[in-house]
Amino acid sequence: MRIIFHECKKAFTSPILVVLILLFMAYNMFLIFSNSYFKEELKVVNELAETYGVKMTDESLHQFQQDLQKDFAKLNEITRKHTAQEFSSIDEFLNTLRYEDRDLYTEKEWAFFTQYQLKEMYFNLAKSIDSEYDRMDWKRMAKSEIEMYGLSGSAAKILQNEYDKFSQRFEEMKENREHKTWFFAGKPYKVHSFLFRTVFGHLIFEALILIVLATALITNYEFENRTNLVTYSTKRGRRLMKDKLAASLLMATAITAFLFVITLGTYFSVFDYSYLWESSISSALNWEYNLPYVSWWNLSFLAFLLLSILLVYMCMILFSAITFVISIFVKNSYFTFFLFTAFFAMAYMMNGFMPQSSMLIFIAGFNLSLLVMNPHMFFMGSGGLMMFKFYEMITVGVWMMIVSVLCIFSFKKFNKQEIY
Amino acid sequence: MQILLHEIKKIFSWKILLLLLFVNGILSFLLIEFDIKYFPNGRPALDSYRIGVEMIEKYGTHMDEDDFADFKKTYEVQLEEANHYLQTRKEFVDAGMGTYEDFRNYDRNNKEQDVLYDKVMFKEPVDMLWELEERSRLIENYKSKEISLEHYMKDANAKQKLRFNELIEAGHYPVYPEVAFANFKSFIYHVAITIIFSVVLVLLPIFIQDRSRRLLDLQYTAKKGRNLYKTKVAAGLISTFIVITTLLITYFGFYSLNHTSMFFSVPIHMFGGDFYWYDPTFFQYIVLTVVAIYILGFVFALLAMSFSSIMSNTIALIGIQIPFVIIMIKYGVFYMMRHIISIWVPKWVVPTSYSVMLVVSVVFIVLLWKREKKRDIVL
Repeated sequence: MRIIFHECKKAFTSPILVVLILLFMAYNMFLIFSNSYFKEELKVVNELAETYGVKMTDESLHQFQQDLQKDFAKLNEITRKHTAQEFSSIDEFLNTLRYEDRDLYTEKEWAFFTQYQLKEMYFNLAKSIDSEYDRMDWKRMAKSEIEMYGLSGSAAKILQNEYDKFSQRFEEMKENREHKTWFFAGKPYKVHSFLFRTVFGHLIFEALILIVLATALITNYEFENRTNLVTYSTKRGRRLMKDKLAASLLMATAITAFLFVITLGTYFSVFDYSYLWESSISSALNWEYNLPYVSWWNLSFLAFLLLSILLVYMCMILFSAITFVISIFVKNSYFTFFLFTAFFAMAYMMNGFMPQSSMLIFIAGFNLSLLVMNPHMFFMGSGGLMMFKFYEMITVGVWMMIVSVLCIFSFKKFNKQEIY
Repeated sequence: MQILLHEIKKIFSWKILLLLLFVNGILSFLLIEFDIKYFPNGRPALDSYRIGVEMIEKYGTHMDEDDFADFKKTYEVQLEEANHYLQTRKEFVDAGMGTYEDFRNYDRNNKEQDVLYDKVMFKEPVDMLWELEERSRLIENYKSKEISLEHYMKDANAKQKLRFNELIEAGHYPVYPEVAFANFKSFIYHVAITIIFSVVLVLLPIFIQDRSRRLLDLQYTAKKGRNLYKTKVAAGLISTFIVITTLLITYFGFYSLNHTSMFFSVPIHMFGGDFYWYDPTFFQYIVLTVVAIYILGFVFALLAMSFSSIMSNTIALIGIQIPFVIIMIKYGVFYMMRHIISIWVPKWVVPTSYSVMLVVSVVFIVLLWKREKKRDIVL
């Protein structure tokens, strides 16, 4: 244990790693704060979830409608007071409002107007869910996807099949009303993309840099500091590599955890999710681009978040182990770093080079780079080439096996390797 | 001289060369390939490119009213042809798309029309129909050139307004299709990123390698002594030059596949998309960006060498470069390459940034040489 601790110490007492982690943290905070201009508007949906419950039922929607009517009456009361006019809707009021009339209303009244306008938007969205979802045709979606990637032959068949399965899941979801929960409206705010693509994406990239550097530092330390002849001839000897691997994985854990705690801590203190933890990730309101986000599983937002964190963590551990293997083979941190970068980019581009008619294109897609580059599509079935139900589990599982074999192999190799 | 050559050889060890090749292969697939393989990117970009070539052949580097009248005439002739083409095809007449005007204002919800439209535009694209669309866009563009410039002027500050007035006085309006130029701007932006990355990759190990092998004790006690530091810097700069030149030749070799040389003599204010502080021709603009790439390359080479002589280990050396390279790639190159003379970046910003970067990196390496002269190497 003491050896592992001392190996870890090599990484966390390295000033450059400390400086980088602080820099990245500051950047993430800056990123979140600079995108938080709409955070006040997000409170409305929390209020809705608080008053009507996070699940939309017919009764609660009815109740909501009645409350909206009350608010509408209040709106006209206010406008009558100031301008002796009445309006048929908030939009009419806002559209006919002249610039010089803005000052007629107090700040409090303006707050009420925006509140009311947003509530109405949410109500309209909720009302339109069924008709929008009935229009979803996954068969056609599969076709356009196949056309887009130029698939043919068995590849096209596989994707078509998967979409058929997904279509069933979609029908089931419509039955059990899992998609009818309150969530931030996707189109205007794009909160899902911001959290899971921008914030997670940056975080993954930063963690990757730090982990590769830390692992390369720990593993190649003896060679770069010319202490190899001493350390590898001690009693612990070449078995030290096992401690080095353990230390690397420990550091990877620490770095990922640290970044997650600080970044997500900032994120959730800025953005209010207080009543939406139990909302579903497949909520119909979570609809940003052409397709809504629909997960293969019935996941609440909290479960999705935790699973995503776990998945990222597993990937980071695997990346650390891959760096370890490269380090053993090249014995030089400089080459380790750039070879890892090259490996990452190659794996990412891999399925672009595969023939579009065979299932090779999918097999090449089961790699960690592609997985971590799309954190907003974890566990999702809607869209994308790699929309398979067990994509995440298979990728991590397969790579866990590959990496374990490689680790064992590199231990064996290191036992016989020249050490100077 | 002998030592200099040996130092250059040390920089280009076969391992580094292999890595350089590998990394450039990946980066060119990730960044550069797109601008070469997909140029012109689909339609109407292809028609835009073709019409642009035709315009330059006919009207030269500027377009006056006579040229415009001729351009309009070409459009009308082609319009007649299109009308004739549609008239002679029965299914179009039956579907109520017998004239080009009806064809263009087709009803998307009318199934019959939609299928026919889809057929001649996408399934078996008829060049003439696409070209007509592009020509009419260019004609509209020409007619509204004053208005659109005024529109841009509204948000301009005093200096930008001055420049816009200059453009108006000289009659410099963006009336040519911009595909070729926009493609070059995107291409050179990605080349700049690739070259910065490659230079840093090659020069990082230059000093740290000797230090970690404890070679300094030997080198600094030889006759050449500490002057070796200067020789190594020189070797680094020569290698930088070699790397940048080789990569530029390679990538411009790829670029020549785009066949845009006929646009080279056209002044860049003729292309739409952006406005510029100066009026170079396309070719002069290429030279400008190439010079800029050399400066960026040398700045990053000098920085890499400086860091290489002060950082204690390879990890720290790579680590300290990361923020600089990321900031440069994410923000720096965007302003300093893509918008190098764009009117939307204040005139002084880009030249100042280049000078400051160059001065800082040179001063840095000079200071390090002063330090090296007195440094206690036994420690």
